[in-house]
Amino acid sequence: MNSFKQLIITCFVLLSFSLVTQAQLHCGLVSFEPNTSESAMLTFDTPAKYQGGITINGATRLKIRVNNKNIVDPLCSWNLTMLIDNNPGAGTPISEWEKLILYGNGLGQNPLIQSLEIRIRNACSTSPNDGIYQTFTLNTDIIDIIAPLLPITPAGSCTNNVNGPGDYIGNYDEFHFDIDIRVIPKFAFNPGVFQLNLRFHLEENP
Amino acid sequence: MKRISYVVVALLLFGATSVKAQLIDEKDVTITMDLQPVLQLDMTTPDQIEFVFDNINEYYAGITHYGATILKVSSTVSWDLYAVGRSSGTNGAGFWDQQIDYGSGNNANAIPNLPLSLLELKQSQANAGATAHTGTYSDYSSAFTPTGTASGQNSLYVNAGTNTPPTLAGKYIGGHAGVTGIGDFLPGGSYLTQTGTTSNYYYSIDYRILPGLPAIFPNAYSADGATAQDIVTANVAGNYAEPGVYTMYVQYILLEDQ
Repeated sequence: MNSFKQLIITCFVLLSFSLVTQAQLHCGLVSFEPNTSESAMLTFDTPAKYQGGITINGATRLKIRVNNKNIVDPLCSWNLTMLIDNNPGAGTPISEWEKLILYGNGLGQNPLIQSLEIRIRNACSTSPNDGIYQTFTLNTDIIDIIAPLLPITPAGSCTNNVNGPGDYIGNYDEFHFDIDIRVIPKFAFNPGVFQLNLRFHLEENP
Repeated sequence: MKRISYVVVALLLFGATSVKAQLIDEKDVTITMDLQPVLQLDMTTPDQIEFVFDNINEYYAGITHYGATILKVSSTVSWDLYAVGRSSGTNGAGFWDQQIDYGSGNNANAIPNLPLSLLELKQSQANAGATAHTGTYSDYSSAFTPTGTASGQNSLYVNAGTNTPPTLAGKYIGGHAGVTGIGDFLPGGSYLTQTGTTSNYYYSIDYRILPGLPAIFPNAYSADGATAQDIVTANVAGNYAEPGVYTMYVQYILLEDQ
């Protein structure tokens, strides 16, 4: 009898744990379309480019699809962030671009991560940082495009922080983001070839 | 009963451990930056600068060409700039090339080997990156000395006809020898963005040749400015420069701080 009581208690504990963890799923699908990797090349070969910088508008375009579940869950919402990665496994200092090749004697400073400027924009300016160039400082720094755990703002609102279900086909101005990149090195850094990885992270809110 | 309870616990554990986290997707953009080194020296100068000594005053007072060469620097890296006297070596390394010999050419006191260092330079802007220098003169920014006062402060750097950079004892127009990172370079930059009346990226160069009478070129000195190389010192008393046409060239070298 005693063991039966223990079984019931164990079942209750495990069942409740199971229910709690399952409860995180609110959406049916969260995806970039397409989510293939892209690359951008910035070549500085004249003093004018060093001084004026190079800007690539629309270096990548994020097209987002967030579907609700078949049985609609009113708590389905999402967040979008970007993270910088300089491949520290290769020995890259935490605040610098990853060095691929050095030209010359390399006695100066390798480019700093903060020299990369990122701008996000879409027609509805759904990101609070829309249209503003922002910078990272250190490896794994994160910048919010649509911050996590915000109250749900439904698609079609065409306002800040739209994070309800929807997609770039039905609500292009809210579920599509243009990413612009700009680097103005001036004359502060070692010449060479350097690299950074910009990771966009789309996730449903718990 | 015990068996059933094990089965139930196992099933529930499986249910608990196979729960899914939030749905996630990621996309990567790799950004590659190619910073190519640019060392650009824009020079405005005549193809030839002629010094024609055809009256006594010119021998005594010398001939000066003001602002004959304009040097403009754009560099993406820390840099050094120096001038070096060179020739094709007809009369030997470190000497002007004698193209024509006037007169009989038989006088033993008439010396055809004129040192390249007899040419004097004056740069418009003092070298702001030369505190590391150890010689008497770090650059060519001093005013030309009056005639009658021999000095090596403006004499052109020469290294036996090669283009090897000066040592810490020599003269640079900008920057200096060494890579200590302190006082031996000028930082990357460009004349294009400079304002004001002076700039470390813009130099106007004056040239002077002072033969003196007799024509011994008293301001010819060694690279460190310490040893006279005039015709008499380099030869014997009574010697003088042989009349004729001579040529040489000045090579301006802009290079990454070294």
